[in-house]
Amino acid sequence: MSFEYSVTYCAENNYENPVENASWQFLIVPENNDTQELISVEIKNSLEAKSGFSQNGFGFQTIRINTSERFQKINFSATFKLKKISFNPFGQIPIFDIPSNYELVKSLNFKVDQEPYLRETKYTALPASSENLFVFDTSISIFENLQKLNKWIYLFIHFNTGVTHVNTLLEEIINNPEGVCQDFTHLFCALSKANNIPTRYVSGYLHQGNGYFGDSQMHAWAEAFIPQVGWIGFDPTNNLLVNDNHIKVAHGKDYNDCSPLKGVVYSQGANKTSHSVEVQAEQ
Amino acid sequence: MNPDVKKPIFSSYINNTSLFDEVFNTNGAAKNVYQKLFELYGNHSIQDYVQLNNKAKSSFFNQGITFQVYDNKETQEKIFPFDLFPGIIAEDEWEIIERGAIQRSKALNLFLWDIYHDKKIIKDGIVPLDLISSSANYFHQMIGVDPPGGIYNHISGTDIIKHSDGNYYVLEDNIRCPSGVSYVICNRTALKRALFGVFNHYKTHSVTNYAENLLDILESVKPKGVDVPNCVVITPGMYNSAFYEHSYLAKAMGVELVEGRDLFVENDFVYMKTIRGPIKVDVIYRRVDDQFIDPLEFRADSSLGVPGLFAAYIKGNVCLANAPGTGVADDKAIYTYMPKIIKYYLDETPILNNVHTYHCSRPNELKYVLEHIHELVVKPVDEAGGYGISIGNRLSKSEIKVVQEEIKQNPRKYIAQPIMSLSVHPTYIDDSESFEQRHVDLRTFTLLGNKKEFVLKGGLSRVALKKGNLIVNSSQGGGSKDTWVLKK
Repeated sequence: MSFEYSVTYCAENNYENPVENASWQFLIVPENNDTQELISVEIKNSLEAKSGFSQNGFGFQTIRINTSERFQKINFSATFKLKKISFNPFGQIPIFDIPSNYELVKSLNFKVDQEPYLRETKYTALPASSENLFVFDTSISIFENLQKLNKWIYLFIHFNTGVTHVNTLLEEIINNPEGVCQDFTHLFCALSKANNIPTRYVSGYLHQGNGYFGDSQMHAWAEAFIPQVGWIGFDPTNNLLVNDNHIKVAHGKDYNDCSPLKGVVYSQGANKTSHSVEVQAEQ
Repeated sequence: MNPDVKKPIFSSYINNTSLFDEVFNTNGAAKNVYQKLFELYGNHSIQDYVQLNNKAKSSFFNQGITFQVYDNKETQEKIFPFDLFPGIIAEDEWEIIERGAIQRSKALNLFLWDIYHDKKIIKDGIVPLDLISSSANYFHQMIGVDPPGGIYNHISGTDIIKHSDGNYYVLEDNIRCPSGVSYVICNRTALKRALFGVFNHYKTHSVTNYAENLLDILESVKPKGVDVPNCVVITPGMYNSAFYEHSYLAKAMGVELVEGRDLFVENDFVYMKTIRGPIKVDVIYRRVDDQFIDPLEFRADSSLGVPGLFAAYIKGNVCLANAPGTGVADDKAIYTYMPKIIKYYLDETPILNNVHTYHCSRPNELKYVLEHIHELVVKPVDEAGGYGISIGNRLSKSEIKVVQEEIKQNPRKYIAQPIMSLSVHPTYIDDSESFEQRHVDLRTFTLLGNKKEFVLKGGLSRVALKKGNLIVNSSQGGGSKDTWVLKK
């Protein structure tokens, strides 16, 4: 069974002083994968500046916009229509997720191949005292441990907007467990990696028809690699396995690799950016 | 006539025979390759020499051949101190250096290809995974990317010393943005101008062919589908310490010198802004550090780069030399694996020796280093230009404690090596108005292209001008000499 979504992303940038020249890169286009298929993209900006597609260093599609005329304010909007195929998140997991996988994840070959997603990064570094915050129980499968971790984080952090920001590190979250999806996801990545499981940060959209947390911004969740199974998505903000309400855009080591908007603006002074996201199911 | 006026050049030279003197044997006689030079110089007085040396120096100043030294408070513009008395290398000895430099460049290139593709050397347990995964210069964005022609380190600067045992040792392989080649060429020009009579008595290889070979190498790694590539040199700008060199190389190759703001990217192709409209750029010799080349992909605060350049690169529409992410192999901890890296990829024994190195990241070796700091050189693994180096036998007890603490705080950041006794070369010292022994090393320049390779026959002999000093980097107050490689 499949159904269609329409996703609208809007951003407004205001600059204190006039800008002569700017380039922006948006990492907001839903990727094509086994469970989703992009049908159409419509991009608009208030300056009618040239836009085009490119890719980031990890191969995810980006939208590039360059301006060369003076401005102080610019609005962007992009509308994506896509088809999402519904799937059973449990799929083949129980068959292949076997005890010998705990040995496999410790092997050198495995560690070398998965190095990017086992490496500690700025946003997934645990303070020294917290490395054993969540230790896997090897009498149950990796998948079951990850599900437990997902729930543990969901209960540990209190969802609260306005407490953290894009540069918040885990030390702060652990000392004062309040935050948004990004913080839930960074902690999940950190603790899963601490148990030798390759884990990556995913940015995307969440269809909130079912009352999930996601506050009409871009959403974040994690994907963990289970040997013989593959990458499985966990949404610790909502204590969910990733399902057909999750629309993936990109993944990376942490938020830094996935930030939806990067800009190079030749201007002095402050600027203010606001984003909004709307996801609608069209059946 | 005042007898002092006729004071022969080397009359007050003190030949400390515990040091390896490149010119004089322990019995005081000049070595073979220097004999003719010695005879010719011998006819002159020290005053003649000073006059010539000053002429050469002023020619540097007049041409604006300067560099900048950074310290905590300010930057200063300096002339690179130059000494007219050249280093001379016989053909057979040079052959060893040349083969050794090519061997290292090729091995490093294969190593870089491997760690950005199959990572076999790590899986085979030769190079530890930690060394790669803890490196800030290992770019995940480069995994699986095939650089044009398969080349990462197009330009390498290999620092070589002659130890008191008479053998050559490599101190460092510089493959980020090694500089100094323009000084080699300027030194030669200045020397020929001042001493053409002496120079003409030797059959010396030219060094002015560097630029044409560099252009050849850059053109050999043009992107697919490009017929005649448009090459440019990108510089961080006129305040960069090596700006003279960037402008020199662009001029000598006959290509444009650009800054980031002169280029732009559209549809993943790179263009140069000109008064006649945009011109596509195919190969970029980048003298901007890779963290700064594209603010959309790497450091967002960089104003030196070109937004979108990296996407153009991974799409194969432009070639960057050296390739982004090459710096992972220009790490003093990787250096210590060079003999194994050469063996692994080329199945050869290293032609040039490595200096024995202790890794502070290994507990046993850390213990040794902490206990023997007074007889070791401690270096941070990721700093260039001679910054952060501590030489054990020059440190006071309290300074040793400071170094020990620093190492304990961050063992991965440090390696240590025995204090190598660099050879010495007679160098004119202004203060004593005479020649004195000063430690020297040699930076050689190797180019690697698509089925092409080149080693500049010559190099930058770098001199530590302070007595007894072992650090020869220009940023640490070193000077330089011309280096003659003799033809058979």
